Amino acid sequence: MEATIEVTGLRKRFGPTLALDGMTFTVDPGQVTGFVGPNGAGKSTTMRVVLGLDAAEQGTALIGGQRYQDLRHPLSHVGSLLDAGALQPSRSARNHLLWLAHSQGLNARRVDEVVGQAGLQSAIKRRAGGYSLGMRQRLGIAAALLGDPPILMMDEPFNGMDPEGIVWMRGFLRSLAAEGRAVLVSSHLMGELQDTADHLVVVGRGKVIADTSVADLISAASGDRVAVRTTARTEAMTVLTHAGATVAATGPDTLTISGLTAQRVVTLLGDGAVPFSEVSAHRATLEEAYMELTRDAVEFRAAADSTGAAR
Amino acid sequence: MNHAPPAIQAGPSAAHAAPPGRRGALRAGLAAMPGTLHAEWTKLRTVSGTAWLLAGVVTATAAVSAAAVAATKCTTGLGCPADPTKLSLTGVYLGQAVVAILAVLAVSNEYSTGMVRVTLAAMPRRLAVLAAKAAIVGAMVLVAGAVAVAASLLAGRLMLPGNGFTAAHGFAALSLAHGPTLRAACGSVLYLALIAIFSLGIATAVRDSAVAIGLSLGLLYLPPILIALTVTNPVWLHRLQRYTPMTAGLTIQNTTGLHGLPITPWAGLGVLALWAAAALLTGGLLLRVRDA
Amino acid sequence: MSAGTITPYRSAQPAGHDGFPQLLRAEWIKFRSVRGWIIGVVVAGLLMLAVGLLGVQASIACSSGPHAPVKHGAACVTPVPIGPGGEPVSDSFYFVRQPLTGNGSITAQVTSLTGVQQSAAPSGPNTAQTQAGPHVLQPWSKAGIIIKQSTKQGSAYAAMMVTGGNGVRMQYDYTQDIAGIPGKVSAVHPRWLRLTRSGDTITGYDSADGFHWTRVGSADLAGLPSTVQVGLFATSPMHVYESSSFGSGNYNGVNTIATGVFDHVGVSGQHGGAWAGAAVGGSQGLGPNGPGDSYQQAGGSFTVTGSGDIAPVTAGPGSSVGPSGTIEQHLVGTFAGLIAVVVIATMFITAEYRRGMIRLTLAATPRRGRVLAAKAVVIGAVTFVLGLIAAIIAVLIGTRLSANQGIYVFPVSWQTEARVLLGTAAVLAVGAVLALAVGTILRRSAAAITVVIAGVVLTYILAMASLVPLPVAEWLLRVTPAAGFAIQQSLPRWPQVTGVYGLPQYYPLSPWAGFAVLCGYAVVAMGLAVLLLRRRDA
Repeated sequence: MEATIEVTGLRKRFGPTLALDGMTFTVDPGQVTGFVGPNGAGKSTTMRVVLGLDAAEQGTALIGGQRYQDLRHPLSHVGSLLDAGALQPSRSARNHLLWLAHSQGLNARRVDEVVGQAGLQSAIKRRAGGYSLGMRQRLGIAAALLGDPPILMMDEPFNGMDPEGIVWMRGFLRSLAAEGRAVLVSSHLMGELQDTADHLVVVGRGKVIADTSVADLISAASGDRVAVRTTARTEAMTVLTHAGATVAATGPDTLTISGLTAQRVVTLLGDGAVPFSEVSAHRATLEEAYMELTRDAVEFRAAADSTGAAR
Repeated sequence: MNHAPPAIQAGPSAAHAAPPGRRGALRAGLAAMPGTLHAEWTKLRTVSGTAWLLAGVVTATAAVSAAAVAATKCTTGLGCPADPTKLSLTGVYLGQAVVAILAVLAVSNEYSTGMVRVTLAAMPRRLAVLAAKAAIVGAMVLVAGAVAVAASLLAGRLMLPGNGFTAAHGFAALSLAHGPTLRAACGSVLYLALIAIFSLGIATAVRDSAVAIGLSLGLLYLPPILIALTVTNPVWLHRLQRYTPMTAGLTIQNTTGLHGLPITPWAGLGVLALWAAAALLTGGLLLRVRDA
Repeated sequence: MSAGTITPYRSAQPAGHDGFPQLLRAEWIKFRSVRGWIIGVVVAGLLMLAVGLLGVQASIACSSGPHAPVKHGAACVTPVPIGPGGEPVSDSFYFVRQPLTGNGSITAQVTSLTGVQQSAAPSGPNTAQTQAGPHVLQPWSKAGIIIKQSTKQGSAYAAMMVTGGNGVRMQYDYTQDIAGIPGKVSAVHPRWLRLTRSGDTITGYDSADGFHWTRVGSADLAGLPSTVQVGLFATSPMHVYESSSFGSGNYNGVNTIATGVFDHVGVSGQHGGAWAGAAVGGSQGLGPNGPGDSYQQAGGSFTVTGSGDIAPVTAGPGSSVGPSGTIEQHLVGTFAGLIAVVVIATMFITAEYRRGMIRLTLAATPRRGRVLAAKAVVIGAVTFVLGLIAAIIAVLIGTRLSANQGIYVFPVSWQTEARVLLGTAAVLAVGAVLALAVGTILRRSAAAITVVIAGVVLTYILAMASLVPLPVAEWLLRVTPAAGFAIQQSLPRWPQVTGVYGLPQYYPLSPWAGFAVLCGYAVVAMGLAVLLLRRRDA
């Protein structure tokens, strides 16, 4: 069986709120899958349902074709980090990892291995209550790696990390994926995911809005813009609009053009003898793509289906 | 390191697929027990509070027993308590409160820190987790309770003769060789362990430590007052004396006057065992059904 | 972008007040906005009511004779005479009397006082119903002279008497007791007694030789009619003893009689002349078939035998009243409500620590002592109001229920009842403040709740349910915070009555002393809590 997470048609209510409304996606090995969405989209709830912590009213969540509850030594199948602060303050970090190891039939040697992987050797004997936020995240990652699982699930692991920690985490997650593991990382900060994730599952209001690769998402977004600095604004606008671009004046001598590549703009302005001092290309960021996506959710889904944009 | 994915794909999952059905679930639960027990034991022994609370059980029980024994003098004539063993075991009234704290915290701390989700993600067999907690806490309380009861009886043995409980007045020195005393002692140790399981079940059902301890202590301490002060209807009085946890459970401490007891000692302890079982079952049911 | 400096921001909001009332309001909003705590407070009140009113029992059944119809409930309450001060009294004695009109006096010499106690041995069908037992004199057996308003039970009186173990006493209006010449009376140590009536005032004198008189005291009996009854009396209270070993609270009582020998009896003033003897209050001597109350006159010497007592009634096993109860019996649910109150009060402070909200609170109000004071006021006030409402309802309904079932509830003055009700509410409030303080000190709810419950509720239970020997129970109710429950005691102890002053009607400490102990614990705990709150990091 493959090391995958398959979520199908999850539906769950919390009182009057519909948290999950037919959530369906699959997480494949060998890549980092970003699980993104605004607050309240159902990311954490989905993860909890996958881990058998919360019960869904409808739908299934399977790990390699099995329910989480039926797995023997589940930490050797799925390593998860949901809440880095879920620690007993008076217990030392090492003992926290130790009891987790014991629950899977592992021993202290394995604990020391993951401590080394997470880089916590110097602080591991300290009580968990004294850990900073970043250290707690590292401890959580160490716990997730205890069983050397082929699947990893992390809920907002970048929260509270300093820049150095973010760089480390990014590299670490990518290396885990490169080993062939399936890595699911949820976040609502696109900037972090841009360089980390290969595939994206975008959710909103309990549903999947997009399930695509990062590259496809960015290229499909209409965020590509060209900025032109010129003294002859009106002439430039006429020429470019004739070519079918959308032009906006964003300053006394700057124009922002969308719909044309920078090369085309230069050619058009040259042909029209419009003087300009600067042409710069602005590539859409993942954040812009995401904002546009969640704003025009329905339209994109239709487009994605018709172009067959998937993995 | 670059391992080929197939090494991970071939699965432990294939070999350890749980057989379907409830028997399969039971078998899977039992198979999970060793690891779960080991994990719960590690959890409890690596928190300093556990050792302090166990020491507290011993201290509270022994101190109150010693104080009660020291304060009771047997002068000739009526006024001599007939049951020096029960007198020496007075400390259990306070010791059980410390036991209740230990049991409640073993569960409630997980909920207050959110660690319960880590626990249930590592050990998804929830009833196995509860059983393991009950077993470990119960075993710890058995040990601490044995020390506490031994210390209490020792205090009684040393101090009672000096207070007039001599052979001349018809009292032998407290000794575990004496059948009823041995029963009272062992029963008191079991009593403490059952109180632990009782409180553990309540805490699992209620999850908040303050409400759990209030409920546990309330259920234990309310009926004796009802019996002593409020209820005079003989039918209800008899029922309360027989079927409430603390009153029934502590009949195990009686070594004399056994004919006048509302319930026989071991049956009384059995009543407490039923209460503990009911609390554990309720907690287990709610644990299974609720979201983590 | 403006060039140069930017003017510092100045808020246009008007400055609010930063006083204690605002802090109180903030803490009150914090409290009432947690639905669980409001529910908990209501549950506390309901628990108090439920436990207090749980004395549901079958109605008392009684009948006045083997062939009389059986009555139930309220019809069985035998009325207890009420003294001039409003307290229930026992007024039974053998009275050898004459009427006296206007001012006058009575003098007599007592040469002997002896007593007989009913046999405690169980009587079989063939033996006499009661037998004379040992010749023991009760400490408060009485024989002497008395001036009494009338022979009606509960009427005002003043008496000079010789007692079995307390020397000569002057007693009047049941509750007043003044000591005279100490020592036992005998033929070689006789005692001379005199009562002088002047209007409403009666003065008592005693003497050892009949010549040198000492004024013992004077009684002002308001509204004394011009014709009163004057004469000799004898009476002896029941002997109550524990029938088995401690803790079981089983008591037996046997009747006793006392016989006093008087001579040199003289009455001055406008008096009746002929002596008439009768038993006031239907006193029956040792029993229906035993030696009864009587008097004999031989020349100038009178021998009067009587039983009963002229004194306030006590509650408990030694009581001479039938099935009886006190008003505070219906407040026994206080401790149950206290458990719930302790849980809520502890959570009021520990919830702040758990969520880290304490930092927000202390940032808003850096003067930490005030924060704790405001919390104490809020939780104390809420608990007090709840406790008062629950107590009032419990007593109202409870006394009515008890009366309907045939239980005699001891009447008390409105001041006492107010003290009991307000005191109960105060115990709950102070208990809540104590829990708040302990919660602040320990910062962990389970430990704090257990400490307070063990200190207040467990000790109360151990004492009340006789789970520890009596000396231990008394010590517990003196030294631990459970002493505060003494404020609920509605009946006073009477030094001149040998009653069984035990729990639950009588506490080792006086009501206000016990309450002060509880308050002392709360004050110390709050002081420590404020100290720790100030010094610790948030």
